Amino acid sequence: MNRQIKILGIVIMLCYLAAFLKLNQIQVLQAGAYNDRPENTRAQLRDFNKPRGDIVTAEGEIAATSEVVRSELRYQRVYPDGELFAHVTGYYSFRLGSTGVERVYNAELTGRTPSLQLHELSGFFADQSSEGDVVLTLRGQVQRAARDALGGNNGSVVALDPRTGDVIAMYSNPTYDPNVISANQGEEAVDVKTLLDAAPSKPLLSRAYQERYFPGSTFKIVTATAGLTSNKVTETTPDYPVVQSYTPPLTTRPIKNFDGNLCGGTLFVILQKSCNSSFAQMAAETLGPDPMIAAAEAAGFNDAPPIDLTRPATSVYPTNFGAVVSTPEGAAPVYEDTPALAQTGIGQNDVAATPLQMALVAAGVANKGRIMVPHVMSEIRARDGAVVGSYADSPWRDSMSPENAEILRRGMISVVTDGTASILALPGFDVGGKTGTAQLGLDPPQSHAWIIAFAGPTGQAPTIAVAVMVQGVDGASGSTGGRVAGPIAKQVLEAALMPG
Amino acid sequence: MTITESATHQQVVVKALGRRRRTTELGLLILAVLVICGTYALASLGKSASLPADIVPFLGVIVALPILAHLANRKFAPTSDPLFLPLAALLNGLGYVFIARLDGDLAGLQALWTAVGIFGYIATLIVVRDVRFLQRYRYTFGLIGVLLLIMPLLPGIGRSINGSRIWVSLGPIGFQPGELAKIALAIFFAGYLVDRRELLGVATFRIGRINTPDPKYFAPILVAVGFSLIVMVFEKDLGSALLFFVLFIVMLWVATGRGSYLAVGVVLFSASSYAAWRMFSHVQTRVTIWINPWSDPSGKGFQVIQGAYALAWGGTTGTGPGLGIAGRIPADESDFIFAVIGEELGLLGVTAVLCAFLLLAGSGLRVAQRSSDPFSSLLAVGLTTLIAFQAFIIIAGVIRLLPLTGVTLPFVSYGGSSLVANYILLALLIRISDQTARKIPEPLVAR
Repeated sequence: MNRQIKILGIVIMLCYLAAFLKLNQIQVLQAGAYNDRPENTRAQLRDFNKPRGDIVTAEGEIAATSEVVRSELRYQRVYPDGELFAHVTGYYSFRLGSTGVERVYNAELTGRTPSLQLHELSGFFADQSSEGDVVLTLRGQVQRAARDALGGNNGSVVALDPRTGDVIAMYSNPTYDPNVISANQGEEAVDVKTLLDAAPSKPLLSRAYQERYFPGSTFKIVTATAGLTSNKVTETTPDYPVVQSYTPPLTTRPIKNFDGNLCGGTLFVILQKSCNSSFAQMAAETLGPDPMIAAAEAAGFNDAPPIDLTRPATSVYPTNFGAVVSTPEGAAPVYEDTPALAQTGIGQNDVAATPLQMALVAAGVANKGRIMVPHVMSEIRARDGAVVGSYADSPWRDSMSPENAEILRRGMISVVTDGTASILALPGFDVGGKTGTAQLGLDPPQSHAWIIAFAGPTGQAPTIAVAVMVQGVDGASGSTGGRVAGPIAKQVLEAALMPG
Repeated sequence: MTITESATHQQVVVKALGRRRRTTELGLLILAVLVICGTYALASLGKSASLPADIVPFLGVIVALPILAHLANRKFAPTSDPLFLPLAALLNGLGYVFIARLDGDLAGLQALWTAVGIFGYIATLIVVRDVRFLQRYRYTFGLIGVLLLIMPLLPGIGRSINGSRIWVSLGPIGFQPGELAKIALAIFFAGYLVDRRELLGVATFRIGRINTPDPKYFAPILVAVGFSLIVMVFEKDLGSALLFFVLFIVMLWVATGRGSYLAVGVVLFSASSYAAWRMFSHVQTRVTIWINPWSDPSGKGFQVIQGAYALAWGGTTGTGPGLGIAGRIPADESDFIFAVIGEELGLLGVTAVLCAFLLLAGSGLRVAQRSSDPFSSLLAVGLTTLIAFQAFIIIAGVIRLLPLTGVTLPFVSYGGSSLVANYILLALLIRISDQTARKIPEPLVAR
């Protein structure tokens, strides 16, 4: 029997060896793959049982913090200002996941970045944990001004520093209370989320960077940029005819000026009066598709801005206008879709932009043609207050040459001093702007009211660029943008430039 | 040297051997107790950042029970192998720590069952003073085994829990008679095979071109095994059925040395597995989940998937006792306790568990090999096979090496019947080991 017993011993050993090898596979070789499987919530569960850093505004006001609760999940996320920063901080829920800064900076908030862990090690004897606080570029005061100015309107306000890309304020209406969605106790959070997801007004999406709208006349800054960059438009030439409407080639449908006004002239004049006829003609006949596409893409269209938030929308400018139909002398070739091209020149047709994108257009003008990467994080701090990392500002796009930017800067200032954006005038500051009224339909007349602007102390470089969009307001006259969006932008500029 | 002198000399040698072995056992027991206490304190610190309030009664139980068994060894089986008890105490203690970490109420019960198990162990040592006593009553044990197996199927006392009808309730006490039936049937097989192994080993009967032993000699075994398997298929206890098949084939092969039994066994097993797969939906489910648990991740595959996640989360060194995410895996205190250990002690911890079982199996087989008495030897093989393969079947099920079949991890899992049965099984191995050492102490002393 001894031979059999020996063999039996070997067989048992082989069985256990197989188990050992399989355990190596599960626990070492493929452990990462198992941990990363979507339905494996262990990593999340760990995060919800560890302290998490705060999200604070530039002034140090707490926008998100974690409270210890007596439940299976030890920490509950709390947002003291409710909906105020909802679309920036996002929410942080065990069951519903996370968005915004909570998601993008999860590694920093949970303390898993090398710099935070190194810092923890350096304070080894101080008994501190490694989670980090995220300091935002947003200023609570300006954010509140944006919320109050927008009031009950659906729409969005974006304010940023054109020199750095720091987002100073970013508010969107309607919004939601992240406290409710982040609640880990009870079933209410799931119900509320379902309700919010189904709501036609999409309150969970930020109108500032996740939704696109016709930019209307604010897009004329891009059209003007295309003219200047291609050298086909200067401050003095061409002098567009003073007309009530312009009818592009290949169509009989005229593009009318607002309220049937007579409008036309050189660049600054048509900017001040926001002449549809002139900019449509500029796009269709002076420029043609290629300079328009180039200028739009140089300003950031057709590419999602690399902002440090979740799922930013890509603003769109069409890139295909069909084949060349004819090549008239002294004008751009006529394409199959030149009528559409003419409409894109005034920010209609297939042009769609986020308010963030239009703020970046203004920022490019304000910052010598250089658009900086927009961002909401300024610093990462350890719990003891030590700064362990800060956002490295970097350029995103060169929308135009510094010379052309200077021309447009003066042009936009003239829109405030002598044009449709006069409401923005602030004593002691150079303010430039451009209004927009993106028509949605005429029966009943409805439009998105827009304004983009920049401002800085007189004679100095602008320190703020803003975009205000009020969605679906009644009326579609040339003054709608300045009348509705203008006061909102002004209040935001005042809050940012004249604090106190 | 006269015969009396020689006998006295032998007594002296046996005594010296006994003293040495018991000292070794005590030393190893102390080591095991230290490991368990350390893990217990760490698990409590990890869970609630404080030392457990019940550390003193815990220490009492954890120290007193194995020491009690150790004293019983000194008295009733002084020359037995010193590895068995420390290994069992280590596994039992480790299991207890993790049960306490998962569910305090169950831990109290498990402590109680451990006490019952230790008393069962001592009682077995006292009652079975000579293994041949078991050989004499082999048919009685066969009958007892069969009766124990059918008990859960009897109306009135049989209970179905979690889909398996393997429970019996007598008044307030519920237990799984199948755990004891395994031992009884192992005794029966050993006795029967020793009687017939000469005959079974000789081919006298021809089927076509194949020589086989006369069918009448292995008919009773086939009947017993077939009966057990049928019962277990009806009780839906696939793990035990598998274990039985392995036990039967291994013992038959070890007794006769005929490879053809292995071949016939494998064919028979494959055929019956296929039949079971065709006939029973719960068998099909097990196989489907084994092949791809992600086909139903939140339903039937949930347990296996969560087990794998726990193991993966533990990685090489584990999260640390008490720091894992417990309470996610169904049956985490019984069938899936291995996954919990894997999460909190990591690959290192589960490898230690594997080694403990391997050492236990090795000790058992060494006893079988040393014994000059065929019955003792064969019984030791059977008992070792039970422990080694039961542990392997559940571990392999948890890590998806084999389809999952619910059996307990011997000594580690929560479960009174299993614990008591395994301590009785251990006592039998100790008895065989002691008897073997008394008979031929010289070569052992020389080692």
